Amino acid sequence: MSDRKPGVYLCKGCGIGEAVDVGELEKLPASEFKIGTCKTHDALCSDEGVALIKADIDGGDINQAIIGACSHRVMTDKFSFNGTPVIRANLREQVAWSQPAGEEDTQMLAADQVRMAMAQASKTDAPSSSAVQELVQTVMIVGGGITGLTAALEAAKSGHKALLVERSDKLGGWANKWSKRMPHLPPYRGVEENHVGKLIAEVEAHGDITVMTDTMITKTSGAPGKFEVTMAHGGSDKIEMIGAIVVATGWRPYDASKLTHLGYGASPDIVTGVELEDMLGDGKLMRKSDGQKEAKYIAFIQCAGSRDPDHLPYCSSVCCGVSIKQSLQIKRENPDASCYVIFDELRTPGTAEEFYREAQEAGVIFMKGKVKSVGGDMSVVYEDDLLGQEVPLNGLDMIVLATGMVPNSTNPDTEAAEEEMNKYLISDINPAAGVSVAGYTGDTPDPVKRPEESIPPGGSILNLQYRQGPHIPILADGFSDSHYICFPYETRRTGIYTCGPVRRPMDMAESADDAAGAVLKAIQAIRSAGEGASVHPRTGDLSFPKIGHDICTKCRRCTVECPFGAIDEEEDGKPVINESRCRRCGTCMGACPVRTISFDNYSPSMVGDMIKAIDVPDEFEEKPRIIIFACENDAYPALDMAGINRQQWSAYVRVIPVRCLGSVTMLWVSTALESGFDGIMLMGCKSGDDYQCHFIKGSGIAKERMSKVGATLKSMALEEERVQMEEVSIADSHSVAKVINKFAATIGDMDPNPFKGF
Amino acid sequence: MTKPAPNTSEKYDLGFANWVYENVNGGDKLGLCMQCGVCSGSCPIGEQMDHGPRKLFMMIRAGMKDEVLSSNTMWNCTSCYRCVVRCPRSVPVTYILQDLAAKSVELGYAKPNENSKFSNSFWWSAKTFGRTDERLVTAKYYFSFGVVEGVKRGLDNLKIAWGMIKTGRMHLTMPHQIKDKAGLKAILAKAAEIEERESKS
Repeated sequence: MSDRKPGVYLCKGCGIGEAVDVGELEKLPASEFKIGTCKTHDALCSDEGVALIKADIDGGDINQAIIGACSHRVMTDKFSFNGTPVIRANLREQVAWSQPAGEEDTQMLAADQVRMAMAQASKTDAPSSSAVQELVQTVMIVGGGITGLTAALEAAKSGHKALLVERSDKLGGWANKWSKRMPHLPPYRGVEENHVGKLIAEVEAHGDITVMTDTMITKTSGAPGKFEVTMAHGGSDKIEMIGAIVVATGWRPYDASKLTHLGYGASPDIVTGVELEDMLGDGKLMRKSDGQKEAKYIAFIQCAGSRDPDHLPYCSSVCCGVSIKQSLQIKRENPDASCYVIFDELRTPGTAEEFYREAQEAGVIFMKGKVKSVGGDMSVVYEDDLLGQEVPLNGLDMIVLATGMVPNSTNPDTEAAEEEMNKYLISDINPAAGVSVAGYTGDTPDPVKRPEESIPPGGSILNLQYRQGPHIPILADGFSDSHYICFPYETRRTGIYTCGPVRRPMDMAESADDAAGAVLKAIQAIRSAGEGASVHPRTGDLSFPKIGHDICTKCRRCTVECPFGAIDEEEDGKPVINESRCRRCGTCMGACPVRTISFDNYSPSMVGDMIKAIDVPDEFEEKPRIIIFACENDAYPALDMAGINRQQWSAYVRVIPVRCLGSVTMLWVSTALESGFDGIMLMGCKSGDDYQCHFIKGSGIAKERMSKVGATLKSMALEEERVQMEEVSIADSHSVAKVINKFAATIGDMDPNPFKGF
Repeated sequence: MTKPAPNTSEKYDLGFANWVYENVNGGDKLGLCMQCGVCSGSCPIGEQMDHGPRKLFMMIRAGMKDEVLSSNTMWNCTSCYRCVVRCPRSVPVTYILQDLAAKSVELGYAKPNENSKFSNSFWWSAKTFGRTDERLVTAKYYFSFGVVEGVKRGLDNLKIAWGMIKTGRMHLTMPHQIKDKAGLKAILAKAAEIEERESKS
């Protein structure tokens, strides 16, 4: 867009007018940027203030509004003008509220904030559309268990066609085997009837749900709104067009044959919880060994394999409830039976505590301690924590091992092939790399220890035809990569959402809730693809990366580093962006060594110009300058909140919000050093397996890139400490000012950057 | 009362917990014990017990029948009810201990000890006269340790006895009795009959 007509609007409200001389700022646009339109108002967000801007837009005087007022995170509804680009200079939270009023340094900071916004405007265009044409509305659900059945119903009830694909010959999954289910209705006390039969009938009767059993997915290509899925069914291939995919492949029980230390295999009467379900059908519980004697003395061993670093390092979450349910079933059938539940910690979250109490009242005997040995002669010895001694249980009729859940993040029915693609299956970020974390003063936490067999055996589920391989990436424990708290259903493949036990261990009621959540995400993905807009976290963003193919060297760094596998390659290595898979983080932009990837409103040259627009005083003024690239998801809001709480930090700091630390290109670092900045800090989210990064591995990639900056600095004869990275979460607003001030003090102790003034 | 399950080991009995839950007065609430230890912490004479109530209850779950039934815990309980008042799970600790004492006698676990001997003397007087006679209860209690020990204890406490006589707290004439001893006998016979009937059902 060559005919940019920016206008600058400055606000004097909320203390800005008292903190800085707005009259001085008003002169800047004309003197430094040749911008004719510059107006001030006492409260720009008032109807009168908004009307002032609107009149200029409607009159054709301007087509870009630069607003120097509050943070870009607030008042977005007021400063929204029908697609006219709006650029915000943060004069309130990060100037007036976080710096002393009337000081020279505060005024310089405010002036730089306005300069940066004007430089940003000079490289900002309204994004062009990338809407998916011929959008498909169908939601495909993979897996016909409780989760998949619920997901299909939820999708159909929301007005979408649902295609339910199941690899076995019937619907229901593991739930078909369960005799009863744990309570999910008030008063959460009693064992409930298994409702899977009803659920199957409901799905089969629904006109908008197509069920395909005995079907394997052989190939998936495309992008949200236009996936092309090939399925093998009855010896022939079938191709379906799909809008979005919900993966509800569930779980498999942990292989009990690995639990010989808990006696599995030593006697037919030592069984797993899953095996016990088969025996709990109707009537009396008979011993497996002879089928004659009714089991009277039954011991349940909790955490059989779970929470054991040699087996499953995680808690499988359902086994406690299942053992309570099974022991209650046994007690109801035979009140003379003695059920012993031996646990290390009994985990009964939420309403499950009611169920636990019901079992206590019914006389189920709970014993806290660690199991020492289990014998084939039907004996258990455990170390009782409450008696402080070993207790033997001899002459048991049955020993039940409460085994855990292994996620079906791979398909156990197919062979694992592609060795080299496993690096895309497991998280490819090194969580062991150390970085200081805001709020921690001590050493960085220990890196995550990867278990040796973290990948559940099997082939890929969808066989994605993506540059980054056929898998949906998983975390160290084998569950599909998802952020447990903030964005649980999101996988690293846009338009594909996981729910149920493939995401984390959960019971039937939780799985049903999870299915509803994932379906809503899938529908959102379809609609966003139709509008050409991004999904979480830049929801609604219309910009997307564009590659300058004439400059591109086909180095493939963007196709390798994209956290979402959005970029494919043509045979000659030319990168191809699938817009509706893209989440607009800009990690490709940060990766590109020739800086030819850019967005209409976010580019290497835009931020480069913003850096250059900042006025860097010469070394004799003794005013160092520090630049902070702050992730706009957590770090920037934390800074805003620190401002709202009137915390003060060094006035020598200039903050540039970035979409993700993954988008920070090394060019900006070198530009800043060449412009005379004394220190550079990257402030973003936690990386690693317990990441907080909203783009999953953006901050991890930034960390890897930064680990190589030291050598560059040395070659420029600069101290390595000049460039730092800090992990900041949105909850760190109380400590973020301290982090900045500590860095500012370190920089203050150094000599000025020798490149100043060049 | 059903008999406890046969011993499966010398010390540990798999069915013991269930047996206590079903047969001991208040035992049906024992499953609710969450081992918080408020009972033991509240017990004014916990130090005189082999095991506090919390530990005793866990021993029941662990099937330690012999050790539980031979414990002195229930004999030393003074029925102050502090544990019952404080228990967050409303477990009737005192009732359970009282009935455990009774069960330990029935099953032959209770070895004669000071408390059981005193208890027997007390009950003999109550049953025979409808009242407790200080002189006869004390005498029966002292001589239950044997003649020599009985005389020794009597002489040791002579001063106290003399003081009680002087103030009219003890007398040397015929023991006081209730008027309707036949009525008392009938009540006790009825109670025995009910107990017999209940233990069979």
